[in-house]
Amino acid sequence: MNSIPLSILRDSQSEAGFFMLKHGQSNYSVSSQLIIWVTLICLILTTTLEAAPKKKKKAPPLNLPPLKTQEQKMQLLGYIRQTMPTRKIGSRISFSSADLDKALEQELGPATKSFAKIIDDETFIRRVYLDLTGELPSPNRISSFTSSQNRKKRSILIDELLETEAYARKWARYWTSVIFYDSEANKNRISPKALEDWLTEQFQKGAPWDYITVMLISATPQRNKKVRNDFGQKYGPNNFVLACENKSTELASQTARIFMGISIKCAECHDHPFDNWKREQFHELAAFFHPYTYKMPDKDDPTVKTTVKPRFLLGEKPYETMKSDARRVSIAAYLAYNPKNYWFARAYVNRIWSEVIGDGFYDVDSLGPDSDVMHKPVVNRIAANFRYKDFDPKWVFRLIMNSKVYQREMRTISSSSELFTAIRPSRLRPDVVAASVKNLTGEDKKLRKEIMEVFDMNPSLPQGALEGSIQQALLLMNNTTLQSKLSASDLKKKLVSISADEEMVQELYLNVLARHATDQEIERSVNFLKESKQRPEAIDDLIWVLINSTEFRTKR
Amino acid sequence: MHTDALLHLNLNRRGGISRRNFLQAASLSVAGSTLLSQFQLNAEELKKEGRSCILLWLAGAPSQMETWDPKPGTPNGGETKKISTQTPGVEIAHYWPKIASVMNDVALIRSMTGKEAAHERGTYHLHTGHRMLGIERFPHFGSVVAREIGDPQSDIPNFVSIGQTLSSGFLGVQVAPFIIDRPGQLPANVFNSTPESRQQRRLALLSQQEKDFTEAGAQALVKENIKLYEKANLMMKSPKLKAFQFDDEPTNMQEAYGKSQTGQGLLVARRLVEAGVPFVEVRTGGWDMHNNVFKGMERRAPDVDQGLSQLLIDLKQRGLLEKTLVLCMGEFGRTPKINARPPIPGRDHWVKNFNLLMAGAGIKGGQAIGKTDENGQEIVDSPVQVDDLFRSMCKAMQIDADMELHTPIGRPVKLVESGEVIKGLFG
Repeated sequence: MNSIPLSILRDSQSEAGFFMLKHGQSNYSVSSQLIIWVTLICLILTTTLEAAPKKKKKAPPLNLPPLKTQEQKMQLLGYIRQTMPTRKIGSRISFSSADLDKALEQELGPATKSFAKIIDDETFIRRVYLDLTGELPSPNRISSFTSSQNRKKRSILIDELLETEAYARKWARYWTSVIFYDSEANKNRISPKALEDWLTEQFQKGAPWDYITVMLISATPQRNKKVRNDFGQKYGPNNFVLACENKSTELASQTARIFMGISIKCAECHDHPFDNWKREQFHELAAFFHPYTYKMPDKDDPTVKTTVKPRFLLGEKPYETMKSDARRVSIAAYLAYNPKNYWFARAYVNRIWSEVIGDGFYDVDSLGPDSDVMHKPVVNRIAANFRYKDFDPKWVFRLIMNSKVYQREMRTISSSSELFTAIRPSRLRPDVVAASVKNLTGEDKKLRKEIMEVFDMNPSLPQGALEGSIQQALLLMNNTTLQSKLSASDLKKKLVSISADEEMVQELYLNVLARHATDQEIERSVNFLKESKQRPEAIDDLIWVLINSTEFRTKR
Repeated sequence: MHTDALLHLNLNRRGGISRRNFLQAASLSVAGSTLLSQFQLNAEELKKEGRSCILLWLAGAPSQMETWDPKPGTPNGGETKKISTQTPGVEIAHYWPKIASVMNDVALIRSMTGKEAAHERGTYHLHTGHRMLGIERFPHFGSVVAREIGDPQSDIPNFVSIGQTLSSGFLGVQVAPFIIDRPGQLPANVFNSTPESRQQRRLALLSQQEKDFTEAGAQALVKENIKLYEKANLMMKSPKLKAFQFDDEPTNMQEAYGKSQTGQGLLVARRLVEAGVPFVEVRTGGWDMHNNVFKGMERRAPDVDQGLSQLLIDLKQRGLLEKTLVLCMGEFGRTPKINARPPIPGRDHWVKNFNLLMAGAGIKGGQAIGKTDENGQEIVDSPVQVDDLFRSMCKAMQIDADMELHTPIGRPVKLVESGEVIKGLFG
């Protein structure tokens, strides 16, 4: 693995298109370009691929092409990507949802006895819609799905939803929240919306996760002083760096947290008490992001500073004379393209798993020692295959959602021995609650804003650590806009027009909770109607009850 | 059965009046005075029942050299001068003249020493008494107080924070902070125009709906929701809601606290404590002065100086100070050496020695505990660990510091793991 096999490069020449972003770039011939790239790739990746870099002779001068623009950086990264040895392996290996189930069953051992039942079609369609689109399926959609005789309909639905704009938007919102949730950046210098839009575009066209990551990491936003408050935030990919206020230490800890799932922030000040991360390592990582020479402040006296040279967590060092732009490119390469950095693939897998299953293999962004990972062989296998599949985000969704693990009934998981024997009922994210409300009331910007604030949740905390609030209850019970809009809603009108009680109740449940009412629920609701003096008012009450039910804001 | 709680919501069990009566009462001056006497009654009850705590959190970590431990005339001292106070021999930085005038009620700790020099971790340590190490999330001290002292049936939350703060961790929503962003306003959506009987029918039906969902496997979420709805419904009817506002405070009282966010927050804090809330946190940011520490202090200090000194005066006049612990602190201290950061130097993070202010709840005022050397770089007398501080807070609140908390996996942890009560702090 010491040098890059040229054949791989040539083989993949044609595939490099994805990374050749702008058409007008290839003015000089591909072959001469290639020679430059090959030199470069060797220079950047040698330390990556060598176990222990030996003392090298005086290095030849580094003839880097310009790496100022994002396009130039991505072009280089695109070539590095093509050299990944794992690409070859990927074409020979497969890992199916059935393999996943088998691997997990082996891992769980006796716990498989407490496996929950496989869900029915109605629960499945609601679950998969919420997970993939953040919206509820319409009553028509539910009925066409449940009545379909196609034995592959679940898997077809997954594929179908993965192609929607709603899928891309939902996960763009999730990652935007991951990046901005704890950001202390000045609001005038960031644009979460631009990031969300850019991510939406990427997810929709199926951009690989490594591409998205290296775009975010290697960005170097420039301030345009001619325009007030223009820090480059309108360009979506700049916003990860802007969320970190372009601070080296913040970029280091956020890169490790979000893209590797490990928590090294505390190593900023002291050696990590449980981990292998040392204080110096943190600062070496920070040095990578520094435009010039990075100095680590002394623990006791901040006026005393020692120069620290950039070094990635696995010991990789960039070429010494590299400029900061090139260093950003190389850290992106170390992060995504060093196959030994298994954290990168695993962090993505664990986040998605955690979101759709309700529990992760570990807390998504605060992994300490590797021994904290539950059922490690399973997550490591998924992660390895995610790399083989060229970091295709949709592959992970397909793998998990077609498995039995995903299609089990919910249960409140209270001990780690029960992990993954059922789905943990999960709180819906704020944008999903807002969408469910909008589905009933129609668009209302002010109401949406309030819901987004009141239901906001830290996307990096495990479901089990999240909490609801009194404010949420107050909003759903009393908010005057919500109440009046519901009372004047199309749904309400429709329900009032249905004179048969039972039919009306079914329509109500299908529209609000996206499922049929149970016999018990019908009986209860019909009794309620009978005991009420005014039917329209009673219908308002029934809507109110469902909106305020835990189920309305829960994925079951 | 928890689900039954919703069915039998007895909204008047604490003598609360229904919302409609409440509104009528508020509109009639005669009935309005009943409300006032109810407040006073609560204050009376409070004196008998237990203690409360107001934590003024200076987020970002204020500099000890510019607060209670100035070192003018030394290389580290900078532009900060010292002023004498009501207490002979205790001198503080010149930004705090009003605090100086109430020093006889205040104890300063000048020899705090901590372990965490990053904001998030320091904030966690100084709010929970535990360092952020494993995956367990320890409760905010306010949540512990809410659980130990607060009335579980209280119709307003037992822990209010003006500004975002830490959560109740593994103690759960029952004692989670009720967060309001701006002091002086009623919490959003507390009013409901639905007639009482109709609301009761809705809640009854809701409780059955929830029962079904519990059976379907979501018991933890449902249980939490039932608690939240119960609390929300109590709160909607509570006459104590008025404590969140201060329009009925005399103008001179509002002015005495100051029109700043901090001043108003502290006024609301006093009103909440008076209404029986055992823990209120008030947050004010902007203390992370890596740059321009002296000018920064001139800008930030006056609001806190005014609000905090008035809070102490006010609590004392109302006879509440002896039962109310007042704490003013941040997550750590700042480097005694002034950094060379362009454009205007400031001070960086420093955890070896920092300081804080305590008052009330049996604490002996007019003293400064602990001492640092002349450059402010070493503690030379009576170092105080975070554990010692928490033991002292527990003593002030009459809570057993050795009490065991149970983490979600059932591991027992002491509320405060070690340390001892700060010597000489209590009279």
